Amino acid sequence: MSDSPVIELDGVGRRYGGHDALRDVSLRIDHGERVALLGGSGAGKSTLLALLNGSLLATSGSVRVFGQDLAALTPTTLRALQSRIGAVSQRLDLIEQVRVIHNINAGQLARWSVPRAVAALAWPRADDIALGALDRVGLGWATYERTDRLSGGERQRVAIARLLVQDPDLVLADEPVSSLDPARAAEVLALLRAPAEDATLVISLHQPELAQRHCTRAIGLRDGQVAFDVPVELLDEPTLSHLYALP
Amino acid sequence: MSQTQVRTPRPAEARDETHGWPVQRVGAGRRVSLSEVRGRRLVGLLLVLVPLAWALARAVPEGRAILNTGGLALLDDLAAGVLRPSLAPDFLSLVLDAAVVTLVFAALGTAGALAVGVVGGLVLSDVAWARQPPAGVRALRSVVRGLLVAVRAVHELVWALLFVSVLGLDPLVAVLAIAVPFGAQTAKVFAEIVDGVDPAALRLIRNSGARRSTTLVYGLVPAATPLLLSYSFYRFECAIRSAVLLGVVGVGGLGQELVVSLQSRNWAEVWTLVAAVLVLSAAADVWSSKVRGELPGATRDDEATEAECGRSIATAPPRTGSGRGWWGRASALLLVPVLVAAWIASDVSWAGLASPRTRELTVGLLDDLWPPALPPGGWSVLVGGVLDTLAMAVLAMAVAVVVTLVVGPWATRPDLARPRSVRGLARHLIRVVARLLLLVLRSVPPTIWAIVALLALFPGILPGALALGLYTGGILGRLVAEAWESLDRRPTRALRNAGVGGRMAAVAAQTAPSSQQLVAYTLYRFEICVRDTAVVGVVGAAGLGRLFAENLAVFRFPVVATLLLASVAVSLAAELVGRRLRRALRGTPPEARGRFRPARQPAISAAPARSSSSSR
Repeated sequence: MSDSPVIELDGVGRRYGGHDALRDVSLRIDHGERVALLGGSGAGKSTLLALLNGSLLATSGSVRVFGQDLAALTPTTLRALQSRIGAVSQRLDLIEQVRVIHNINAGQLARWSVPRAVAALAWPRADDIALGALDRVGLGWATYERTDRLSGGERQRVAIARLLVQDPDLVLADEPVSSLDPARAAEVLALLRAPAEDATLVISLHQPELAQRHCTRAIGLRDGQVAFDVPVELLDEPTLSHLYALP
Repeated sequence: MSQTQVRTPRPAEARDETHGWPVQRVGAGRRVSLSEVRGRRLVGLLLVLVPLAWALARAVPEGRAILNTGGLALLDDLAAGVLRPSLAPDFLSLVLDAAVVTLVFAALGTAGALAVGVVGGLVLSDVAWARQPPAGVRALRSVVRGLLVAVRAVHELVWALLFVSVLGLDPLVAVLAIAVPFGAQTAKVFAEIVDGVDPAALRLIRNSGARRSTTLVYGLVPAATPLLLSYSFYRFECAIRSAVLLGVVGVGGLGQELVVSLQSRNWAEVWTLVAAVLVLSAAADVWSSKVRGELPGATRDDEATEAECGRSIATAPPRTGSGRGWWGRASALLLVPVLVAAWIASDVSWAGLASPRTRELTVGLLDDLWPPALPPGGWSVLVGGVLDTLAMAVLAMAVAVVVTLVVGPWATRPDLARPRSVRGLARHLIRVVARLLLLVLRSVPPTIWAIVALLALFPGILPGALALGLYTGGILGRLVAEAWESLDRRPTRALRNAGVGGRMAAVAAQTAPSSQQLVAYTLYRFEICVRDTAVVGVVGAAGLGRLFAENLAVFRFPVVATLLLASVAVSLAAELVGRRLRRALRGTPPEARGRFRPARQPAISAAPARSSSSSR
C-alpha cells in the first residue's frame, strides 16, 4: 500500500464558465506526507481540495485517489472512497441544533445503518469511540451540550473530534486556521495531525511559518498552476514573495 | 398571538465577530449530563402524549356512534361535484358580486384596523412617550394595554355575532368585526415596531437640540414606515380570509353564499364558490408577498415568530428590501381610489353606528351583559365547555401536524443534483400540487370545513377538531415547508462528501432542526387554534363557541358575558403556556431580542421574496 501514491494528478484542469480555476496540474502525494497548499486568494486551493475528495470533478486530466480514478467511480464506490477521506473547512459545517455527541457520531455514519442512526438521534448515547475522540480534543465535559452554545474554539475542536471518529486515511483541510489566533492555530494543526501519525494530510494555509512547522512539503499555487513544489525546509523569502506578488 | 416584550439590544460583545454565532461561555459549573438530555426527551414525549390521550378520551363518546353513515352519501355527492362546478351565468354574476363584497369588507376592515393600530400603537409604545409620563397617563396606558389584549383574544366571528345583536345584519358588522380585533393586534405590533427603532438614532437627533415632536417625526417615521406598511399588507391578506369567514353570520360575501349553497346541498355551486375563494386568497397572497418582498424586515406575525422558533440568526438570510419597487408604488397609487370606490360600491354606511336605535341597543346590551352569570347547568357546563375547547384544539393540532408531515415535505423545494431530469421535473410538479392542496386547506374557512365534517360526523369535539385541523394544517404545512426550505443544507452536503449516503445524511443533519421548527410552529399555532375553536363551535361542533352561540340565540346575555370572559382567559392561558414551552424548547435562556427591528445594514442581496403569508 505504501508504495502506491495516495494522490496522483495528471494534467488536471478545472473550468468554471470561461475561467480556468486550475490548469494542467500534475502531482503525486505519497502515503504519510503532510502537504501545505500555499497561494493567494483565488489561486485554486479550494478547487484543488474539492477535486481531491470527489465533490467536484475535473474538466480535464485525471484525478486518482488511493489508486482509483474518481471520474470512473459509481456513486456507491465513490461513497466508499469518500468515507476514507476526512474534510475540514473553516466553515466547520456542524449541525448546530443538536447535542455535541450527534456531531461526533456524524463522523461514523458511513459505518452505520439508517435505523441505528435514527435510534442514536432519538435516544442519545455515546460509545467509546466518540467519548475517546472528545477526550482527545479536551471536550469530554461537553458531550451533551448543545453545539450552538459552544464557543468558536470549542466548535473547531468538535469538528476535529468528528474527524477523529471518522478515522480517515487522508485528511483534506481547507484553511482550517485562517480565522484563529496563532496559539489556537497551532493547537488545531497539532490536532489535525492526530488522527493517525501515518495519515496523509493536505492542508491549505495562508501562513508559511505554520507550513514550515507542521508540514513536510509545500506546494505553491498561482493562477491555477503549480508555482513551486518543495520540501518545507527549502521555503524561502524569494519563493514566497513571488507567490503572493500581485499581478 | 405570540410576542416577546423584551427589547433590550443584545450587547455587541456577546457575538463572535468572526463567525457571527452567539458566544455563550459555558461556565465550569454548567455540565449537561446524559440523563438530563434523556430526561428532556421523555418530558417532551409526555407533553405530547398525555394531552393527546386525554383529548382523545374526551372526544370519543362512549357507546355513541361517531360516524353519521347517512351523511356519507352526501360527502360522496360533494366530492363528485368537483368536476362539475356551476357555471350558470346568473350564478357567476352572483359569485362576482359576493367576491366584491368580501373584498370591500376586507379593505374597509383593514383601513379601520390600521387607524386603531396607529393610535393604539403610539399609546402603547415607550419611545413615543417622555421618559417618565405622569402616573395618571401610565395607569391609563396599562388599562389600554389590558383592554387591547382582551379585545384580540376574542375571535372576529364572536365580535361579529355581538355586533349583529346591536346593528342587525348590517354590512358594517363585518367591517367592524375585522377592524376591532385586528386593530388591537396591529396596535401591539406597531408599538413593537416603533420601540424596535434604534434608540441611538433618536438620541442623536434629540441631543442636537431638536424638539421632542421633531425627534419623533425625523427619527421614527423613516425607520418604521416600511415595517408598518409591510405589516399592513399582511393584515389585509388576513382580512380577506376573515371576510370570507364572517359571511357565515349572514352579512353577505362569499362566506354567506358558501353556507347557503352547502345547506341547500347544491354541490355544483359550492365548488364554484370554493374556486372563487381560492382565486381571491391566492391573489391576495401573491400581491401581498410581492409588495412585502420589496420592503425590509420580517413582519408577518408568524415570520416574526421564526426568531423565537429557533431559526438560528446566523443562518437566516437577511431580509432587506430596498423599499422601492414597482409593486409597492403601483399599490400605493391604487390604494386610495380603490378604497373610495369600495366604499361607494358597498352598502356600508356609518349611519347605523350613530342612530339612536343603535345607541339604545348598545346600552341595553352592556346592561344585559353585566353582571355575568353561569350558564344553565352551572359550573360543570362552563368547565366542560373549557375542557372541550382545549381538547378540540389539541386534536386539531394533531390533525394539522399529520397534514404537515404528509404534505409538507413534498411542498419544499427539493435539493436535487439534476433539477432538469425527468425525476426533477416530476418532483417540481408534485411540489406545485402539494402547495395548491395547502392553499385549499387554509383558504376555505374552518366554518365551511366544519359544516362539511358535520355531514359525516355527529356533532361534538371530533368534527370541530377535524375542521380546525384541516384549516390549521394548511397554514402550518406552508409555514413549516418554508422553514424547511430555508434550512442550512451545508452540513448535509458536508456529510455526503464524507461518504455518507444521501438519505442517511438528510436524516442525521436535518431531523433535529426541522423537527424543532415543526414543534415550535405547532406550539405557536396551538395558541391561535384555541382562539379559533370559537369558529367551529358557532356552527355546532362543541366547546365554548357552541355554548356562546346557543346562549346568544336565546338572548341569555349574562351567560354570554361569562363565556366571553372564559374564552379570553383560556386564550391568554394558552398563549402564556405556549410561549413558555417555546422558550424552553429553544434551550437557551430567554434572551433579549427585538422582534421587529428595522434592518440596519444595506441590502446584501435582493430581497429573497419568501412567498407570502397565511394565518388567521
